Amino acid sequence: MTSIGTGYDLSNSVFSPDGRNFQVEYAMKAVENGGTAIGIRCKDGVVLALEKLVTSKLLKPGANKRISTVDRNMGVVSAGLTPDGRHFVSRARDEAAQWRSLYKAPIPTAALANRMGSYVQAYTLYSSVRPFGVTAIIGGWDSEVEVPVDGQVGAGPAVGAGGKKEGEKHGGPYLYMIEPSGLYWGYYGAATGKGRQAAKSELEKLDLAAGNLTLEEGVKEAARIIYVAHEDSKDKEFELEMTWVSSLSGPTKGRHEEVPQKLREEAERLAKKSLEGDDDEDDKPEGEKMEE
Amino acid sequence: MNHLPQAWGRPRDDIYGAYNHAHLAPSHPTTHTQSPIVTGTSVIALKFRGGVVIAADNLASYGSLALHRREAAEKFNDKAVLGFGGDVSDMQYLDRYLNALAIRENYSSGSGAGEKASSTSTDASEEERAESLDNEGAGTGMAANNLHKYLQKLLYRRRSDFNPLWNHILIAGLSSPPPNAPDASPQPFLKSVDLLGTAFGAPSLATGFGAHLAQPILRRVVPDEEAVKKIDEATAVEAIRECMKVLWYRDARSLDRYSLAVVTKEGVRLSEDERVEGQSWEFAEGIRGYGTQVV
Amino acid sequence: MNHLKKGEVNLGTSIMAINFKDGVILGADSRTTTGAYIANRVTDKLTQAVADIVHYHLGMYGITNDEPPTTQTAAAIFQELCYDNKDQLSAGMIIAGYDHRHGGQVYSIPLGGSLHKQAYAIGGSGSTYIYGYCDANWKEGMTEEEGVNFVKGALREAIKWDGSSGGVIRMVVLTAKGAVRHLYLPDRSNYEGPGVDTAKI
Repeated sequence: MTSIGTGYDLSNSVFSPDGRNFQVEYAMKAVENGGTAIGIRCKDGVVLALEKLVTSKLLKPGANKRISTVDRNMGVVSAGLTPDGRHFVSRARDEAAQWRSLYKAPIPTAALANRMGSYVQAYTLYSSVRPFGVTAIIGGWDSEVEVPVDGQVGAGPAVGAGGKKEGEKHGGPYLYMIEPSGLYWGYYGAATGKGRQAAKSELEKLDLAAGNLTLEEGVKEAARIIYVAHEDSKDKEFELEMTWVSSLSGPTKGRHEEVPQKLREEAERLAKKSLEGDDDEDDKPEGEKMEE
Repeated sequence: MNHLPQAWGRPRDDIYGAYNHAHLAPSHPTTHTQSPIVTGTSVIALKFRGGVVIAADNLASYGSLALHRREAAEKFNDKAVLGFGGDVSDMQYLDRYLNALAIRENYSSGSGAGEKASSTSTDASEEERAESLDNEGAGTGMAANNLHKYLQKLLYRRRSDFNPLWNHILIAGLSSPPPNAPDASPQPFLKSVDLLGTAFGAPSLATGFGAHLAQPILRRVVPDEEAVKKIDEATAVEAIRECMKVLWYRDARSLDRYSLAVVTKEGVRLSEDERVEGQSWEFAEGIRGYGTQVV
Repeated sequence: MNHLKKGEVNLGTSIMAINFKDGVILGADSRTTTGAYIANRVTDKLTQAVADIVHYHLGMYGITNDEPPTTQTAAAIFQELCYDNKDQLSAGMIIAGYDHRHGGQVYSIPLGGSLHKQAYAIGGSGSTYIYGYCDANWKEGMTEEEGVNFVKGALREAIKWDGSSGGVIRMVVLTAKGAVRHLYLPDRSNYEGPGVDTAKI
């Protein structure tokens, strides 16, 4: 960092003369130290993946999950200070529950991102608090079919509600990333944490905007990207944590769940293979040349 | 005017005296629900070897007016089904309450890695698919006995607040194994809880009119826990169907359409559009007058 | 059973809402009575539908979420209100609306505060006389003209048999194109017209 503090970095509620909030920038440093987290918005769902760095050999493998569910149809993964991430999730769950108790329906992913963005931003305003030391990625599936009002009985006319526009699409996969400043955007692919640069350049290669990537391909890409992103901190051990949420007709039936063990292991196998393959490909042409 | 905005535009206390709130106080005591309004009638259930069958008709009544169709039996998760008798609005309240509970339970029981996620059915109807997101507590660890205990505490608390939830609920399903034998196979579970929080369990149970009309028939099929082990699913379902027919004949607030659910270790099979079949009305032709008339 | 709560008077009425092919139709009579005296013979019962508190919630929803609330949102808020205040309320409600997400929808909230999604809903003192008429004449996927005739026919019967219902028949037709008012008068050969009211919405 070019100009560290000079006294303007001590309080959250004080700008520096050149218009910066140093506490927020330091929070982003905390994020950059955390394991890589990514989200991919596929055409039929969203995949979240995390490079969970193993901090002690005394921790039980596979325990202490870091990707959390909010309501039933959304997941949150974060990079940075783990306890801050847990508080973020706790607030997100409260927001989702409050929405349900008022509107008797699941909260749309966009509305949750909006509320959480406002919440995180509030922590950049007051001298008595510090900003969130996490960047969080929210992935969710908003129902593509009519969900009944919670508790309602009866189904209305058998031939469907009148006047509904034929062929018009509703709901679908959504992905948002919220930064310590409270800034959030919707993304096709999002990455944060230590290996974000490598992850982002891999995500950009996928041409996610075209909307051709299927959920299952997304799972495999996500695993591969986490492995690629891990290359820079190869000395540390890590666990790959992956969750997904599909359409109601897809494998998770609209719920946010862990990727089944079998599929995850398959994706990891392919990820490792592709990393080795990269080396092979680098070697091969040379080898072939030598044969020629 | 003073510095308190909330006092602006109001008569000044120092001139007119403080506002007298006395006349705003209600002239009668606070009352809560004195009776159910839109109601569902009987729920009946029966244990058998390896499971439980439960049924309830699909009618919501407003006094004697047949008002709407309702969903009387409701799947909570793969281990428990609820049957509601009594007030429909309170039933819907409980539905939402349990939904919120199931969402919270799902948080602490992990994302339920994969085992159930693999059962993909792309040909499910739109309604079924919407249902899968709805109110089931899939992924929760709660077995039928846990759910029953929870509801008993809830209903007892509400009656103690003099604001009861006007329902009589049957909870059918499989129980979790006791703590001293965690590997024991789950046993059929059937218990009821009423609006006072009274809990009661038996091999067969019925609420409302069913307690008078169906219970004796069911007790003949399964008199005690020993008998439960001797009857199979088909016999139990047949007994329940027979009782639904009797209720259709003799309960003026019943319907010939009903929901029927069977819970076994394979899960819950819930059908919401059963009909009362094999009815007997032809003998009406032979009835003349009230006994003495012959033509 | 005396169903009136303390200090209440019975306000008779006939209201209904139906689904049809392109949306929903709401209909009501126009009589307001106090006892046997007709206090207002040309009441507009179709604009009183949104209570202030629900109006507030729906307005907030629109502002905070950048999209208008759906019929379901309105139904959910009304339901909560009716359920939480069931001991003070003595009125059932019908909620009908049109939104691009779900098309036309009709919800009914009877006295205790339960929520029922229906093909059509009828309410008020006059409704008791037309359960048979509606059941016999109802069919799904009606055209707008058939729908208007169904509502008109039902309310005509309700007005005929219920002393507390009467006056004119008012309707609002809700479709993707918006709201259109209809008016039918008792002295125009038994509610023949004038029909569509283009003057005001």
